[in-house]
Amino acid sequence: MSGAKTARRDPAIVMRLSRLGSLHQCRLSFMRVLTRRMARDRWRFERRQFDIDNAGVGTAVYTAHGPERSYSLVAFAHDLPDALRSDRVIAEAWDATFALYDGVPDEADIKRLSQNVPLQEAGRVSERELTLSRANRSVRLWKHVVEALAEGRQPDSDQIDAVGYLMRTTAVYGSGKFGAADRETIADRPEMHGPFQVEMLSVYLIRTFVRDLVEHMARARGGGNAVALDPSIARRLGIGNSTGLGMAPYIVNHPVLFGNWIMAREEAIARVCSLAEANDGEVELFRDVLRRAEISVERWRSEHPIQIEKLALLRADLDAIRDRMVSGLHGDHPWRRLIDWAGKALNEEGQELLTSLILEPYGDLVDGLADCMADTRTDTFRIDGSMPVAKVRDLIASSFGWALDANWQERQNCARVWYVSEEKLEPRLGERHEEPLAAYEQPLAPARDAALAYEALAQWDENIPVARFLLKHPEHRHTVRRAQMSRFAPYGEIRDNTIGAQVLPIDMLRAKLSFFGATHFDPRSDRWVRICMYAGAPFPEELNEKNSDLWVYPEAGS
Amino acid sequence: MTLSMNEVEATAKRAARGAGYSWGLAEEAGKATRWLCERDVDGCAALAVLLQAFDCAREADWSPLAEGSHWQAPGGNLCPLLAGAALSDHARDLQVGALVFGATLAPVLLLPFAASCAAQSQGIVSVGLPNARAVTDGDALAIDGVFPERAENMEIHMGGEIAAPAARRSRAAPGSDMLQILDRFARRTFAPATEQSRLSGAGAGLSDND
Repeated sequence: MSGAKTARRDPAIVMRLSRLGSLHQCRLSFMRVLTRRMARDRWRFERRQFDIDNAGVGTAVYTAHGPERSYSLVAFAHDLPDALRSDRVIAEAWDATFALYDGVPDEADIKRLSQNVPLQEAGRVSERELTLSRANRSVRLWKHVVEALAEGRQPDSDQIDAVGYLMRTTAVYGSGKFGAADRETIADRPEMHGPFQVEMLSVYLIRTFVRDLVEHMARARGGGNAVALDPSIARRLGIGNSTGLGMAPYIVNHPVLFGNWIMAREEAIARVCSLAEANDGEVELFRDVLRRAEISVERWRSEHPIQIEKLALLRADLDAIRDRMVSGLHGDHPWRRLIDWAGKALNEEGQELLTSLILEPYGDLVDGLADCMADTRTDTFRIDGSMPVAKVRDLIASSFGWALDANWQERQNCARVWYVSEEKLEPRLGERHEEPLAAYEQPLAPARDAALAYEALAQWDENIPVARFLLKHPEHRHTVRRAQMSRFAPYGEIRDNTIGAQVLPIDMLRAKLSFFGATHFDPRSDRWVRICMYAGAPFPEELNEKNSDLWVYPEAGS
Repeated sequence: MTLSMNEVEATAKRAARGAGYSWGLAEEAGKATRWLCERDVDGCAALAVLLQAFDCAREADWSPLAEGSHWQAPGGNLCPLLAGAALSDHARDLQVGALVFGATLAPVLLLPFAASCAAQSQGIVSVGLPNARAVTDGDALAIDGVFPERAENMEIHMGGEIAAPAARRSRAAPGSDMLQILDRFARRTFAPATEQSRLSGAGAGLSDND
């Protein structure tokens, strides 16, 4: 069967939380999709305004001109006392606040935004705005870089690597939040069709603003002695992001969308594994990105015990991959054999790094799949009431067979409860048996709910249309809908308990962030992670088709 | 101030949950309210009327006894979300013959579900009240007359003609009084913050000054 197309991996393997929590960026990551497109379509960038005073307070506007439309980042820089700096979403003041404007804003727009954007959740934006976001300085690195540049020298590269960014965003809101334009209003634009392109563009422009701002502050302080940031050092700096629980419910609440992301990556892996052979150029490119991925892993720092252990495993996996590569990638179906070997020899961290890396030589085979990652179906919400009860039970069993026999009354199986707090309306995770939270539970335990619905359905004749069942059991409507969605989203359901005593929400956060293209996951707790975005990426004035893609893999010394 | 449709949907879903609907129905409330607002109908006002009347009642009392072609609720009033969801689930029955609904609260909220039937059959569905009428092909909606807060009866059948479809809207402008009602119900779904939840629930508590 060596000529047959390799099948996509089984969702029962891929959709385990520990594996989702080991995913790495790849060619299909949203940041790379954006930078490739901007380079290919010759996007033009301009800094239209930079009115920042010597205290670092003021307004700046950066505009990105695509082939048909322009998008402008409106940035407000603030002078934030240290005591108010928090990367919690419940903060009320930030070092910088931003909106992405749809087009080129005029003075009235900027004035309107200046009265709302600095307030973030407490303000309102309009349908002319596509995102709302904010960022805080890395106090340590910011101070060091400003001091160094002001004194006429470049910052210390160890300190750059230790942090990786000058500012980190603490939220980038899109999709109609706080009054912004709905996703539907831009989803038909080719440049915005892919998921999260508008958010990724916002962060790309924020990174440029942050570089300009740090140079400005150094000049304000050092005057004629100050120097600009060396471009190769600037390029190493990404934008940090601090992400809490808000993202975890997202992947449960959007099974079709999230399933599309996973399916696109799995299809890409299957396509590459189906190749009968690899030519010298492809093998050379793979060896190159593997070597550069090792540098990236070397620079990956974390103080969290879970990630420290995962990094040790990943480094051991990289050693094993290096040994395996000595024998080369010759012979029949080299990628399939490499991935089969990895499945036996490596940890999940190493396996998923490798599955991402083997896609790199094959842009022609892989990149088109980025167009399949949006959720464009409008009919998946609708329940097919004519489906027989037996078929619904089959669908539930295919996603949740593993969950049907579990004792969902047992304390450790339902130890946690997802809820939304009254403060700032943010998702949180609580202890069901210690806090009075059950009445506020969000529907984020699909496995438990599937088991309950499965049991209730068992009381009904298997040929009866599910419409009749739902008349009597509206409480299972949510689960029946999800079961039917699984027909279109085989990778839509997490195959693990999301309310068990052992659940690690950071696994869910990492799964989502890896598709953004994030690197250097640094958990701050079991439900809170810092990451780096765009480290290594060319700045707008440098962006071209040669550097628009593989920037995520650092070169030694750069 | 206008709302995005995402805000309308999120608010409606939370409000319906806060009024005691199960999650699947709360999701229907979110989509239905949004669908109406996108077609220039004040879905928020209709939902506010419904939720104030329903307010933590038993879903079974407001669900249709869907036997034969005449549907009514054991408790007196049909809920347009429960009856609408059942209507969409039984879309094939509508192709056999017209359905008659007994007393229904906020009947305009039934229209998104009639549209779902139209989409499933790729036909046109009409909803007739004593003094109003709506026609939809699943996407476009035309309303003649005013849908009251409560309809004594309604007839739903295949067929009809869309003469003047409602304008499409990308933003909603619900009245602030109606929005306040929905927000009040929505707030019931939020757990009061405690110091424990503040620190452990979100998982942080670290200084950001590093």
